[in-house]
Amino acid sequence: MNGKDKIKVLYIDDEQNNLISFKAAFRFDYNIFVAINTTEAINHLKANPDISVILSDQKMPDKTGVEFFEEIRKEFPNPIRILITGYADIESVINAINRGHVYRYIKKPWSEDDIRSSIDQGYKFYVTTAMLAVKNEELQKAYNELDKFAYSATHDMRGPILSVLGIIDLAKHTDNLADVKEMMGMMENAMLKLDNYIQNLHDYYSIRRGEVEIADINFDDIVKDLSDIYEVTSKMNNVKFVKNVQQAETFRSDEVSIKIILNNLLSNAFKYQVKNNENKFVELDVNVAKGIANIVVKDNGIGIPENSINQIFNMFYRGNSEEVGSGFGLYNVKDALGKLNGKIDVVSSAEGTTFSIAIPNK
Amino acid sequence: MSQEKLNFIVVDDSKLDCFIAEKIIQNTGRCASVSTFQQANDALIYLRTMASNDIPTIIFVDIQMPVMNGFEFVESFETLPAERRSNFYIYMLSSSINENDIARVKGYSSVKQFLNKPLTSSTINHVLEQF
Repeated sequence: MNGKDKIKVLYIDDEQNNLISFKAAFRFDYNIFVAINTTEAINHLKANPDISVILSDQKMPDKTGVEFFEEIRKEFPNPIRILITGYADIESVINAINRGHVYRYIKKPWSEDDIRSSIDQGYKFYVTTAMLAVKNEELQKAYNELDKFAYSATHDMRGPILSVLGIIDLAKHTDNLADVKEMMGMMENAMLKLDNYIQNLHDYYSIRRGEVEIADINFDDIVKDLSDIYEVTSKMNNVKFVKNVQQAETFRSDEVSIKIILNNLLSNAFKYQVKNNENKFVELDVNVAKGIANIVVKDNGIGIPENSINQIFNMFYRGNSEEVGSGFGLYNVKDALGKLNGKIDVVSSAEGTTFSIAIPNK
Repeated sequence: MSQEKLNFIVVDDSKLDCFIAEKIIQNTGRCASVSTFQQANDALIYLRTMASNDIPTIIFVDIQMPVMNGFEFVESFETLPAERRSNFYIYMLSSSINENDIARVKGYSSVKQFLNKPLTSSTINHVLEQF
């Protein structure tokens, strides 16, 4: 174990000799911080927030160990507190437990084994509590997302279904065949929208719950796949698709995540074009160098309004009134990038939008 | 019972739902005019600038819309001068089964009622009985 992995222990005692002998006895097993008074102890705690076990002498001139523990409990609630004392009367034991919330009580003169087992067990308790806090936070986040999801799902999944039911009601009272055919086209669009939403939902769960599978990434192949997907859209809407890949080195990452990221950005770039523009284009640049894949997706489309640019990565946020968005796309992009330790920047104006991504090699 | 003709305004981000509402309204035989808006803000501009309306106008507004939602639309509507607001009757529509949304609708004095989507001929006939 090197110094970084050792358990960080703080020991407070007003007698210099005790500090020296404590450090001498345990410095190989733990990363020891010593303090001759409580002021010094608090400085150590501030500078080293990862100190996990604190041992304090009870009888000190400026304040007792119990008073010290009581005082720091608010600002530093996580470290495990152990009290060492030579005068073990029942009153001070009760105080220690009730006021200082100490984990252990060690009698002087202490034995090395006593200290060692107290620190080790205290540390286990510390780790468990810390992990519980992290898990609780994760759980809270999951609950919040679930609430949001339930709310949005009723709208985004029921929406197209209710529209179709509405048209069916209408079609029943329509005799003109041409009108009914027009309605059929509308129903088709509503169902395509629902299908798109469900596919996005599937992406969302593959990022969320799926394991990252690190493998060699060949960007030429990925871009080739994407060209095939967007070829039709590009031709139909008269949008020029410019691709540029430069990869001279091996790059390892998760292919599914990268595809989700590129697919969402490209689909947005093609979707939010200026309809009457003669020179519509979407540009995809991939440049892998020095262990980083720099990807740029650029378009000369309608741009993102300044007041919504901070919200575009939020789940279910839709910055545009066109009814095509699911509010999932960019959220999925950000989530996937998070898994790959990547970064994303966006610059947008009325002349178009540019997303720049950097993904490190794994 | 008088069968007065009415004006209608539909505010819904879904083009399809606007179309459905428009057709159903036209089929009632009570329609003097119908205007549809996919953006709540455009509807507000229309309300601010339209000539005074001497016949009742029914507004159907969807709750869940991007940029400006139905609640925000109603709040902005309620800031218009009283004489501008008279003769308007707002109905809020939603596909959500969210109790909070339904309860929230009751808090707006200018909103007549909450309606479930889709808007059907029977729902709208029920609404029109009151006019």
